[in-house]
Amino acid sequence: MSRPGFVLTVDERTPPMLMHSGESFRLQEFPLGTRVVYPPESLPGVVDVDEAIEQALLNPIDSEPLPALLRPGMKLTIAFDDLSLPLPPMRKPDIRQRVLEHVLQHAADAGVDDVQLIVATALHRRMTGAEIKAVVGERVYRSFWPDNLYNFDAEDRANLAHLGTTDQGEDVEISKRAAESDLLVYVNVNLVAMDGGWKSTAIGLASYNSLRHHHNAHTMIHSRSFMDPRHSELHSSAWRMGRIINEHVKVFQIETTLNNDAFPSQYGFLTKREWEWSLRDQAMFLGAKRGIDLLPTKQKRQIFQKMEAPYQLTGISAGAVEPVHHQTLERVHRQQLVEVDGQADVLVMGLPYLCPYNVNSVMNPILAACLGLGYFFNMYRNKPLVREGGVIILDHPVPWEFSTLHHPSYVDFFDEVLAESTDPKVIGPKFEQQYATDPWYTHLYRTSHAYHGVHPFYMWYWCAHALDHVGQVIWVGGDRRSVARMGMRSASTFADALELARDTVGSSPSITYTHNPPHLLADVR
Amino acid sequence: MTSLQKDLKSLSRGWRWGHRKLPPHSAEPHHSFGERKEFPTDWARSRPARAAREVILRGGLTPLIYRETTTKVEGLDVFDDLEGPCIIVANHTSHLDTALLLTTLPVEWQRKVTVGAAADYFFDAWWRAIGSALVFATFPIERHGHGLSDTPTKLIESGWSIVMFPEGTRSPDGWTRRFRPGAAALAITHDIPVLPVAIRGSYAAMPKGRGWPKPGRPPVHVRYGRPIRPKDGEGTLQLNGRIATSIETLLDEDASDWYAAALRASAGETPASSGPQVAEWRRVWASTAGPENTEQRAKAWR
Amino acid sequence: MITALEVYRSLPRYVAARAIGPRIPGLLAGPLAPLRLVHRDGPRNPGDGWVRVRPRLSGICGSDLATLSGHTSLYFTPLVSMPFVPGHEVVGETLDDAPGIPAGSRVVINPVLGCEARNLDKCAACRNGQRNRCDRITVGHLSPGLQTGYCADTGGGWSGQLVAHTSQLHVVPDGLPDERAVLVEPLACAIHIARRAGLTDGGSALVVGAGAVGLLTALALRELTPAGHVTVVAKHGKQAELARQFGASDVVSPGDVAKAVRRSTRALQLEPERGQAYLLGGVDVAIDAVGSRASIDTALRTAKAGGRVVLGGVPGDGVDMTPAWFRELDVTGAYASAGDAFDVAIKLAAEAPLDDLVGVAYPLDRWREALDHAHDGGRLGTLKVAFDLRRAS
Repeated sequence: MSRPGFVLTVDERTPPMLMHSGESFRLQEFPLGTRVVYPPESLPGVVDVDEAIEQALLNPIDSEPLPALLRPGMKLTIAFDDLSLPLPPMRKPDIRQRVLEHVLQHAADAGVDDVQLIVATALHRRMTGAEIKAVVGERVYRSFWPDNLYNFDAEDRANLAHLGTTDQGEDVEISKRAAESDLLVYVNVNLVAMDGGWKSTAIGLASYNSLRHHHNAHTMIHSRSFMDPRHSELHSSAWRMGRIINEHVKVFQIETTLNNDAFPSQYGFLTKREWEWSLRDQAMFLGAKRGIDLLPTKQKRQIFQKMEAPYQLTGISAGAVEPVHHQTLERVHRQQLVEVDGQADVLVMGLPYLCPYNVNSVMNPILAACLGLGYFFNMYRNKPLVREGGVIILDHPVPWEFSTLHHPSYVDFFDEVLAESTDPKVIGPKFEQQYATDPWYTHLYRTSHAYHGVHPFYMWYWCAHALDHVGQVIWVGGDRRSVARMGMRSASTFADALELARDTVGSSPSITYTHNPPHLLADVR
Repeated sequence: MTSLQKDLKSLSRGWRWGHRKLPPHSAEPHHSFGERKEFPTDWARSRPARAAREVILRGGLTPLIYRETTTKVEGLDVFDDLEGPCIIVANHTSHLDTALLLTTLPVEWQRKVTVGAAADYFFDAWWRAIGSALVFATFPIERHGHGLSDTPTKLIESGWSIVMFPEGTRSPDGWTRRFRPGAAALAITHDIPVLPVAIRGSYAAMPKGRGWPKPGRPPVHVRYGRPIRPKDGEGTLQLNGRIATSIETLLDEDASDWYAAALRASAGETPASSGPQVAEWRRVWASTAGPENTEQRAKAWR
Repeated sequence: MITALEVYRSLPRYVAARAIGPRIPGLLAGPLAPLRLVHRDGPRNPGDGWVRVRPRLSGICGSDLATLSGHTSLYFTPLVSMPFVPGHEVVGETLDDAPGIPAGSRVVINPVLGCEARNLDKCAACRNGQRNRCDRITVGHLSPGLQTGYCADTGGGWSGQLVAHTSQLHVVPDGLPDERAVLVEPLACAIHIARRAGLTDGGSALVVGAGAVGLLTALALRELTPAGHVTVVAKHGKQAELARQFGASDVVSPGDVAKAVRRSTRALQLEPERGQAYLLGGVDVAIDAVGSRASIDTALRTAKAGGRVVLGGVPGDGVDMTPAWFRELDVTGAYASAGDAFDVAIKLAAEAPLDDLVGVAYPLDRWREALDHAHDGGRLGTLKVAFDLRRAS
């Protein structure tokens, strides 16, 4: 039996809490009365995954069964989520591989010759062949790579189709191949409530021309939160666009959800509740921590990036996008939702080594900020865990370190843009266009493995809601220079951070610590 | 202080090394106290543990029992045409009972038998749990219905016979108490025979509260009865009643003789094994007398 | 058949608990405890005037822990009868009718087993209403036992059933929840301690120790005596917080007692070559609510000349009595309760802010955890650990 999530109140009997801090973790003692939010324990996985996939394909929601949609001579396009999902990467076989194999088997049975598979990267970096192979499996890879299995290219003007504008005047421009197919199948991994639905196709396969309408500071401030599609301006926009797409191409959406088995069993202490740690867990913690801390950065990173999650499928739905996504969200909530009573003055979050944009790469300061203030802060429904004008304390070393291969435009953004202003509303109008159209960044995006020139802006917009909402952001153990560049403050210890927070929230603030990963979505009452 | 020392201190303080685990107050509703993990005893049925047990039983316990008591065993012929697994039930008055059963069983049965022991006593502390599991092949039984364990089922399915004392605890006065229906239920579920055993004299030899048999080699009788097989459609209570009656008859038989006991049984006049409803001292008095010592020993050094 | 925890005689455990216990306290709740969970018949009714009581909540007292860890004086050995079921802080439910107390009433038990309970003519103390001073606690038709919870015949609170004499019963008013009612007995003791302190108007007092006894004593001092400045010595955060709530004027940590008392009473402080600092001058009454050598030392060294030291805890050995002689102190014992302390305690239990005190209640079969928790209660912020027998069969 997996137990539901709950909110712990720290008392004298509470052991120190595990806290992630980049490529390490540590034990942190919290003041008495601190509330700690724990996600529900991992749900049991689907026992017969193949059977579940087959059932979903044959009994879709508001759609004919997949075999009935396939016929010889048709144009079939299958798009799927890129390596930003799931996190950490899933132990092989990836769930996308298993779904793709089923879909392709049906296509083969129906005699469909014209099949293309597109990685829905949008403005993310191109995945390498090896990375794609890890996601789709050897069979699919050998059958389709490279001609009929490729990364989406948002800058390939010739292969984009402008499908029209929404009633709010938003351009809908997506992959031409997808738009002109007889059937577009989308295979998603719905790790958190933000993913999936029309976001898959309307964002995953879209160009900058289309994305700029919702990837901006204004939309993000009004997405409260972007983890709650009903109250997310970002999602409203994507849904409007989706309906335009729906007029042009039949979309068969396949959404999968995973449980909370985010770490391999030897790191069981990362997901166990602390007071239930056995002596063995304590020894593993101590051993792992000391071992990791002794290693040079490079080896340390290798160990972490090699970590694969033994995720299990909790469910799969297929058919029309909106009803499918409705079911998906229910499953995500069952795994991640925790009720929390009221807001706190201070929200504490430990940031792990990985965010969606540094798989096999480096977590630079902008990505660290985006992970904390974008993703983790927004893991709520109703209202944020921290009150308006409160303080966020993040734990991460924030090294001044960038991957020039993956994040070339980030380097300039950090040096040039943030040095001038850290206000998302200011930097957008002034710099975004320059970066989005810079020919060098575009070249690297199309031919190398670089994120698009405009991507760092998006990361910063992701933080806009948090920056707008709270009074102060403090980084524990953060590199002073990089933190200062982002207009925030750093503290050497948690106690110092609370001391810094005193100016904003007084000397005995209420504190909430979210004990994630694995993911949790706080339903704040 | 080095950071290693710091980490160790934080672990030892935070997790209260040397103390028992204690969840934070607010975590109690989310903590599974009730489902206390059953003490694992699989190891005690592994090959090395069995070998060790055989050595202990045959090299230590059996000679000890025979030295400290005058043991008489009857009815062992039932094993000639009995196939395991089965459930062996006996009346229970002394810690000697388990040892008496284990040491008097035929060797091939000894190797495949395990004893249901009260989880709240025998498995309450690890050292007692390990000791009893190793020597007596015990496995834990919850006698207060804290949820049903599937251990007995697993044991029977893998061919182990189970010794159970249906009274659930040792009798305080030597007379039998009400039989609980657990053994009967198991027999019906798995459709296996129940082997009744009557033990007389162990109360007189070593009653509750004594840690060693009385001096003077007190007589102890172990009498195995005919197996009882669940009938078609028989209820647990019915079978439980038959088991209780058969042990009652066996006790009577041991005190008198087989035919006299059989006559009384058919007339419904078997003396109640729960003893006479008289003053407590008389009940204890009668039990402490023990069976008559019938063994004729050649006293060579008279 | 009832389930009960039973203390039995075990010399090896006693010796081991004394020797190893302080270093590895976890063992005191484990292999070293001379305690076992048994299933047995309920205690037999000793005769007229006795009723069976089914405990609902039963507290774990510091003296119980001391017994289990082998730290009580051997003085007590003839005053108890083995094996006994501990537990003298009991709120329960009567199973038999008694005059004025119909079966099914919720009661608390005054544990002292005096002349009445022993079916004897009352001794002088019992006639005076000072049953705690009864001389006949080893004779009569019961086995020796100073209290319910130390007597082999009556059973105790850590079980499904005990027997109590009608004279021991006090009916609990309906509005008083079990969690407060279980504190009536310790509260009655605290009231007795406060009365024995004999404070005059505005007199100053020091309470050494902020466990349940210490805190309740502070409460009783404030509520029932004309005490002026009351200083409480508390080790842990939660204790300090409660001490303030209960009316302490001042809460100090064990290391700062002499300093704090010196300030508040304008005394002079002296530092001997070894041992704790002491005062010339000091509080009118110093109350020891722990019973350790150090705590009694503290009390003796901070009372003013001619002042009084009240021993509220079961005293440990090896105390340096020099101050009692040199400062001409009145050393006053305070054992159990006398007079109307129980009635006052029931009233006070309803009014005082006691909700936080019973931190946690364990079922009997988790007794090892319960005892372990109680041993470490101060640090864990739990003032009183109890056994919850309401769900047990």
